Amino acid sequence: MSPSNRPGLYVHVPFCSAICPYCDFAVITGDADRRSRYVEHLLRELEISSGLSDFDTLYFGGGTPSQLSHDDLRAVGERARLASDCRVFLEANPEDVTHVSASRWREAGVSTLSLGVQSFDDDALSFLGRRHDAADANRAIETAREAGFETLSLDLIFGLPGQTLAQWRRILDAALAHEPEHLSCYQLTIHDDTLFGRRKREGKLLEMGDERQTDLFLETHRYLCDAGYDGYEVSNFSRGAEHRSRHNEKYWDHTPYLGVGPSAHSFDGRVRSWNERSLFAWQKWIDSGALPVSGKESLDNDQLLLETIVLRLRTRDGLDFDAIIERFNVDLLASNRGLVDRLCDEGLVELDGHCLRPTLEGLAVADSLASSLQLPDKPCQPNLQ
Amino acid sequence: MTLANVRNFCIIAHIDHGKSTLADRLIQRCGGVADREFRDQILDSMDLERERGITIKSNTVTLLYDANNGERYQLNLIDTPGHVDFSHEVRRSLMSCEGALILVDASQGVEAQTVANLYIAMEYELELLPVINKIDLPAADPERAREEIDADLGLDPFEAVLVSAKLGQGIDELLEAIVEKLPPPTGDATKSLQALIFDAQYDAYRGVVVVCKVEEGTLKPGQNIRLMHTDKEYEVEEVGLLQLKRVKKPELPAGAVGYVIANIKTIRDIAIGDTITDVANPAPEPLPGYKEAKPVVFSSIYPMSTDEYEDLTKALDKLTLNDPALTYEKDSSAALGFGFRCGFLGLLHLDVVQERLQREYGLSLLLSAPSVRYRITLENGDVQMIDNPSDYPDPMSIATSEEPYIKASIMMPERYVGVIMELCRDRRGENSTFTYLSVGRVELTSELPLAEVLFDFYDRLKTVTQGYGSFDYEMLDYRETRIVKVDILVNAERVDALSQLVHEDKSRARALHYCERLANTIPKQQFKIAIQGAIGAKIIARTTINAYRKDVTAKCYGGDITRKRKLIEKQKEGKKRMKMVGSVEIPQSAFVAVLKTDES
Repeated sequence: MSPSNRPGLYVHVPFCSAICPYCDFAVITGDADRRSRYVEHLLRELEISSGLSDFDTLYFGGGTPSQLSHDDLRAVGERARLASDCRVFLEANPEDVTHVSASRWREAGVSTLSLGVQSFDDDALSFLGRRHDAADANRAIETAREAGFETLSLDLIFGLPGQTLAQWRRILDAALAHEPEHLSCYQLTIHDDTLFGRRKREGKLLEMGDERQTDLFLETHRYLCDAGYDGYEVSNFSRGAEHRSRHNEKYWDHTPYLGVGPSAHSFDGRVRSWNERSLFAWQKWIDSGALPVSGKESLDNDQLLLETIVLRLRTRDGLDFDAIIERFNVDLLASNRGLVDRLCDEGLVELDGHCLRPTLEGLAVADSLASSLQLPDKPCQPNLQ
Repeated sequence: MTLANVRNFCIIAHIDHGKSTLADRLIQRCGGVADREFRDQILDSMDLERERGITIKSNTVTLLYDANNGERYQLNLIDTPGHVDFSHEVRRSLMSCEGALILVDASQGVEAQTVANLYIAMEYELELLPVINKIDLPAADPERAREEIDADLGLDPFEAVLVSAKLGQGIDELLEAIVEKLPPPTGDATKSLQALIFDAQYDAYRGVVVVCKVEEGTLKPGQNIRLMHTDKEYEVEEVGLLQLKRVKKPELPAGAVGYVIANIKTIRDIAIGDTITDVANPAPEPLPGYKEAKPVVFSSIYPMSTDEYEDLTKALDKLTLNDPALTYEKDSSAALGFGFRCGFLGLLHLDVVQERLQREYGLSLLLSAPSVRYRITLENGDVQMIDNPSDYPDPMSIATSEEPYIKASIMMPERYVGVIMELCRDRRGENSTFTYLSVGRVELTSELPLAEVLFDFYDRLKTVTQGYGSFDYEMLDYRETRIVKVDILVNAERVDALSQLVHEDKSRARALHYCERLANTIPKQQFKIAIQGAIGAKIIARTTINAYRKDVTAKCYGGDITRKRKLIEKQKEGKKRMKMVGSVEIPQSAFVAVLKTDES
């Protein structure tokens, strides 16, 4: 569980210099003028979004947050009601990392730099439509190192069509050579409404088969574990607990968070809401003085419980049955004893005291683990304060 | 009206050659129905019949026709069901006719089924009148059709009447030909009463409406009648003709086809093929050819969701009002819950009942594998009739098992004898013999276990004879056999609804077939699933479904969580429709796929 229950703040920066063919985020290419209008609106949104404060994480995600100037970053940090020990995360593309930019991000308070390296293989990078090559990635990492971020995180993508285990290991080796404190390794997911999705439908792109994807997924965890990394979540690895993503962990344990910027999601412990996806609609609402929210849902206790199960089983810390009893007044272990025993026998989970922890094999099937647990028939009688 | 002015006839046609359209046109021409009330294909009144283009229940209509010779004729068009399962109904219907129109499509010529049906009509010594339909089509080639009528049917091509039922062309000529060429019925209105029951409908207000042909004597209100086979007596309330609506008449004399209402409460009180006679002046014997319609195929019907059980009960109650051949009693399965064990006349009957339940009553159903009824003699001398695998006794206690045999009669052009002999041999046929009916036309008879005919025999027959084979059967007797109960186990748990009684020689193949079907339809789960076929403790077939290894999505951040939860909610919802067998979730689609009878 995250070390604090204080909320997190997510800032969505929708700009990219070009749109990657696999990306389904709310992104847009934009000029300086558009960016400065966006920042103005962002600051206004922070003002009108009351409620949460004392954020102990601030995460700039995107899109490409490294397209914002450090002044913009600083302005957002100043406008938000941050805790004094707040950690600041910034996603950056390798081509945006220079000695100047890196040191300015440091000055602006960024403690974790998350580099969208994606690969160290030039062919893979060009397939992914990235604007950098392996040499750029290496240079960017070294530059970031010199700037002295507390945590350097690298994003990698595996499971490209035709990728072999050996090729992927070489990419991991190239990443490990930099001894990053944190790694996020995502399997390439082909979304329908992307260029890749279209190519797939047209039969021009052959998605990797399930068996090989599974092999790569398991190998990623084993390989990084051997290298001293803790695969604490399906796609996330850290060298030591202090380098885990304190911000992302809030998503996985239902800590409240505020999201600002187009398409950003917020959660207050009960209600989840999401902003307008389009930059223009988002700006219009803010111009009119209203929150740019396009939808929201209020979760009932069953839904909160289900989400807890789903999210916790994606982490190696697992699902704490005692915490569930305390929060929902439901003894999940008692009502799933037989299932849990069988899952243990199958080597998919371990029961560690009152904690159900997925094994690596269990992590690979976390979704169905979550759906196989029986929820109580009658609505929960919560202990929610 | 005198007998000389009555014509009783049916229409024999290949499935798409326009039988119902022609019937509609005849009805319209004779003023049976006003144009504005006209609904296409009036005789096929069930939705299912319209859709499939087949006639399941026979319908009868009386038409009044004023011929060119100035006389008025009563034309009784007797519609016949078109499938072997209903052969008792077909035969009863054909027995009521003196003539038949043989319909040939002018664009397609004589087709296999027409030939097959012709054989049946000839068996009843009907006068046959060829009719060439669809002459309006651009591809119509009446001359070629004539040649084929001569060569393939052996009928006089110059008697053929050319019509377009669609456009109403040639209908007058056809009606004249019916009057001229088809013979009137014979019979004596003064003799003691013999009327053949060939159809019946249930009317919520009047009870059973019996449709019959009076062969001898006269049927009239006030008469006390006896049904000779069921030996029940009733007083006639009303008789009349079926002119689409019931039209009351003072009497039905010999030769007439019409209805009788006699305060008969349920359709189970009567039997198709029975003979009606007069209590006061009884006929010495019933008309020949009566056979009780007994169910020979059994299957359990379960509602997809248990809360539809009540609806299924009501639907079966209603359905049997008009379908006395359908029997049902309560049944239950550990895997599928409560249902009914139903008896059918054959597989098509089963199919029709299933479809009617689904379509007319909106039910979704699961049916267990169809079975015949076995006769089991126990060591202690007790005899049990078993059609439900769950009632199958301990094999150690069984002295002998017997299974029902049929006498199959297959008529076909000579060139198919080889493949049909082969098919019969494959289906454990015994005493197969063939005789030449005429040059090039052969009848093959074979004694076959009914169980072997249940699985796609008719389809195979049609395939290997390219449609030219006709198939009919009658129940023969019970013969000693070696049957075994094959169980299907999923992770060592028996799935009771999938158990089957099978001939020992075929048990392994059937078990493997089931295992493979299940392996293909049960989705991968978290565990490896073993699917086995077993006889008692002995495993005779086996397949495995490997556990899936990965389903987790890569990213789950702020925006992904709602989507993820909804997905899992949906999965959980889907699981409610799964049947749990031990620890394994079996989707209903797996039962449906396995229990489909289209392949064996």
